[in-house]
Amino acid sequence: MGVRFTCKDVAARADALIDGELGLWDRLRIHLHLAICKGCDHFIHQMRQTKAMIRASAALPDEEPAPAALDAILARVAAEPEPEPKPDG
Amino acid sequence: MAKASKSRMTVEGEDEGRFVAALAAGDRAAFAEAYRRYNPPMVRLAAAILRNQASAEEVAQDAWVSILKNIGGFEGRSSLAAWIFTILTNAARSRARRDGRQVSFDDGGEGNGLAAAFDGTGHWKEMPALWEEVTPERMIAGRNLLQHVSAAIDRLPEAQRAVLILRGQQGLEAAEVCAALGISEGNMRVLLHRARHALRRELDRLMG
Ligand SMILES: [Zn+2]
Repeated sequence: MGVRFTCKDVAARADALIDGELGLWDRLRIHLHLAICKGCDHFIHQMRQTKAMIRASAALPDEEPAPAALDAILARVAAEPEPEPKPDG
Repeated sequence: MAKASKSRMTVEGEDEGRFVAALAAGDRAAFAEAYRRYNPPMVRLAAAILRNQASAEEVAQDAWVSILKNIGGFEGRSSLAAWIFTILTNAARSRARRDGRQVSFDDGGEGNGLAAAFDGTGHWKEMPALWEEVTPERMIAGRNLLQHVSAAIDRLPEAQRAVLILRGQQGLEAAEVCAALGISEGNMRVLLHRARHALRRELDRLMG
């Protein structure tokens, strides 16, 4: 692979780019490519839009919890009150 | 010791500290809020691991019992979400063991359908389209885009879905996702990559 990225090189780094995990040099090479390639510009834009829609889908309306569901858990906690070994910190 | 290592020095982090303290004190409103926020993705994640909705709901309840009993020991070394989802995946693993089943995050699939998009010189065979008006509310074929996206996530292979729930929807750090699911960073990246590209293809189809 030369200094210049092909479209395939850009696409392979799209995840890292939109997650902010790409090094400066690769980022620079991608932006040089995007300046002259509408296809990759659209593709990176699609990836960002996809990421945003995935994130937005976490916030689908969640109904208020049923009090009975909470009570069932609290009753189990009360029935066995001694702490378990710590799972993590 | 640097302050930043004690807990996340974000506005969210400070709010999270108060929220954790309320949970540890047995505040019912805080518990209701935590349950409202985390139980739906916990059940979805457990369902992806166990491939069974009824077991997933039971496992989420088991995890809540463990969360409430141990919240006093939460020290903010990870985010609260990462801690909660780690307890959930541990509960799901115990359940799978008890049912005599293996939990595997091997995807089985290969590639992401992207290789075929390029010609021999690495250029697009067909230029990706510019999507316009990608908003959660946009209606296409009687459903809004958010509903289309959620349905497409439900159709993903389980391992991809598990990673997408934690990394894509809940916003856990890459290392937190690996720890919660017990997978390598390389595996996590491949699964995330495939899941995102499946979603991108679905959106492209809807936009077309
Ligand atoms: Zn290109």
